Amino acid sequence: MSLKRFSQAIDGTIPIQALLYDDEDLLGSQDNVGIYDGQQKSPRHQSGTAYITSHRLFYVDGPKPDSCSFSIDLSHVSRTDYYAGLFTSSPKVTVYLAGDVSSESNDEHAPSIWECQVCGNRNSPGFSPSAARICGLCGVPRDASDDPEQGSSATHLSSSLPASGFAGSSVPRSSKDPVPCPACTFLNHPSLRTCELCETDLPRRPSRRELQSAPVSRPHSPDNDEEGDMLIKVSFRKGGDKAIYGALKTSLNGKVWESKAAIVDRGGGNRSVGISGILRTVENSVQERETSMHDALQDLEALMVKAKDMVHLAAELNDKLTAASSTNDEPEEATFIRSSLTQLGLHIDNAPVTQDMTKDERRWHEELARELAKVLQAGLMRDKGIVALDEVWGGWNRARGVALIPPATFLQVIPLLPQYTTPQVSTRKFASGLTVLHTPPYSASAFSARLAGFLVMQGSRTTLEIALEMELDMEESNEAGMSVSLCKEMVEDCEREGGVCRDDVGQCSIVGGGGVGAEVRWWPNLFVGYVWDGEEDG
Amino acid sequence: MALSTHTTSTGWDSVLKACNKVNEHILGFLLPSIHSAPPFFTQQPNPATEAIVIEQWTKLILSYARHRNLFYLRVEDAETGGDWDEVLRNDRINRRLPPAHLSSILAGMVAKNVASYEPAKQTRSVLLYWRLPEEWAEVLHQWASTTGQMNTIMTFYEITDPPVNSPLTNIPLPLLRKAITILAKSNRAQIIAIADGEGVRFFTPAK
Repeated sequence: MSLKRFSQAIDGTIPIQALLYDDEDLLGSQDNVGIYDGQQKSPRHQSGTAYITSHRLFYVDGPKPDSCSFSIDLSHVSRTDYYAGLFTSSPKVTVYLAGDVSSESNDEHAPSIWECQVCGNRNSPGFSPSAARICGLCGVPRDASDDPEQGSSATHLSSSLPASGFAGSSVPRSSKDPVPCPACTFLNHPSLRTCELCETDLPRRPSRRELQSAPVSRPHSPDNDEEGDMLIKVSFRKGGDKAIYGALKTSLNGKVWESKAAIVDRGGGNRSVGISGILRTVENSVQERETSMHDALQDLEALMVKAKDMVHLAAELNDKLTAASSTNDEPEEATFIRSSLTQLGLHIDNAPVTQDMTKDERRWHEELARELAKVLQAGLMRDKGIVALDEVWGGWNRARGVALIPPATFLQVIPLLPQYTTPQVSTRKFASGLTVLHTPPYSASAFSARLAGFLVMQGSRTTLEIALEMELDMEESNEAGMSVSLCKEMVEDCEREGGVCRDDVGQCSIVGGGGVGAEVRWWPNLFVGYVWDGEEDG
Repeated sequence: MALSTHTTSTGWDSVLKACNKVNEHILGFLLPSIHSAPPFFTQQPNPATEAIVIEQWTKLILSYARHRNLFYLRVEDAETGGDWDEVLRNDRINRRLPPAHLSSILAGMVAKNVASYEPAKQTRSVLLYWRLPEEWAEVLHQWASTTGQMNTIMTFYEITDPPVNSPLTNIPLPLLRKAITILAKSNRAQIIAIADGEGVRFFTPAK
């Protein structure tokens, strides 16, 4: 009866997600349900799972999923009812169905990729029947553009036909009403065969598609002789009814299958159709992007304010420590706190120098250089003789807290550094673009001399070993080691000068070895000044 | 090996010299001490260093070729075993000359005119001039006169494969032809076409 009429058989062995349209969402599911066709139990659908999606209601049978599963379009639902169970009777959700269904109209337009005649966009077949009627890019309905199935079976209830230019009257069909002409839209007397004005043949029963403008109207189906409502009940044997009922209600309210039509039909301006539609979507996306960027930048400003707070906090902490420990020896924790603050670059002795403090730009640079020198000596370069430029910039700005220094100014200040620092901090740029600040022991010549000596003493070494073992100065052997990448830069620089030569173990070894450059050992430059001592020409 | 144990307090040069004494003579060929240094086998990015490396390799290759009377050197010789293994590899230090490096060394030799690509228009195989074609010309003429074969027509085969070994035994034909052409310019030889192949006649220069 109604079940057979409104439902479509599906293959329940396919997982539910694969059966959905592209624009359909799964809202809820419940197992252990049974189906009532009308008022009686439907014998084949007594033990299965019900799924509610935004477009349809699915029932997947437990014992026989491939033959006893079906789906019902929610567009057929006129109203729903809820019955909370009593004693032995389980809760039920009643779904009243109405409307004209012709079984093949569902498959009319959906099955294959179709190309819109207006914009050329190829639409995929995965959309729900209503969505499949209009082009995804330009919004022009398929029927208005190309209609290979003109004159086919009667309309589907949920056809979302837009105003296609015909002055659609939503008047239900009957022989008393004027017939709109398909060419000139003049309303002719129903008994006429040709249009009064333009003489085109009037369709005897004009296809409903061309005449409807309101999407949800229900044309009279002359073949409709069923009395009363058709209904289906879903019985929940194991509960879960409230959730499913809620999902069903949401879905029905959403009426996603109509929304496409509603958009198209609104007022005069076709919102999603045509060039203006595309332009509008582009505008909207640009707008969205701007708002999200704006929000993000606001977050950044909030962060800067917090950073300022942190600097104040650090300053206060330092003052408190000084006050607390002025009488007795500073406890160990206080020293630790202080040293970590300076190392992080959070603390400077004076307020930062800003542009408005000094008028002359050159003097301002000098003041900045002086301040930077203090920062370097206090924390950033105290333990290491060489540090990368980005680290310095970050640390200095952190210490300043407010009135940050832009990179351009920073680059202008650096050349002035050697005058204010002892030992002299100078800049060095490597071939890879890495720029560092360094003290004299790390200058190119000093380093290569040390490196050559080290290699002669220790034999050949790889870059890693050099980084770990070579010492800072020849005299005092304090902490050995520098970062490996920095070491690599310096050694390669030395090679460029001709101080060392390389032995590519990876490429040249007979046994083992990786590829080119897999392992490189460094030797002092043996070739310079080498005297041939092989076989002499006889 | 010997290299690593000597390092504590001596400089690098003395280490090399010490190793040189230890070097084995292979078929009576003395390898230079630089051959025991692993960096010798790596192509150096520094152009000045690499120039020295190529120079030393050139010397070594030509010297070995002279010693063993080898004429051809191919890039493939770096990979597979062959006549050049003693020079292109050093098993004691586990190093070999990679083909790419050998290729650039060959290019350097051709640029200096101590070798030429043979056959022409490819870069994988060279003919080594451990004796320049001019010198070959002199040797050829000398040999022709001392073996009393002046003014007689000789086939190339007789020159390259004489019953008594001469410095010209197994000389490759392109080189022989070059030498003869040089002699022809000074009117001391003449190429003659004979039945199957080519022949040559030597003259004493007119006094």
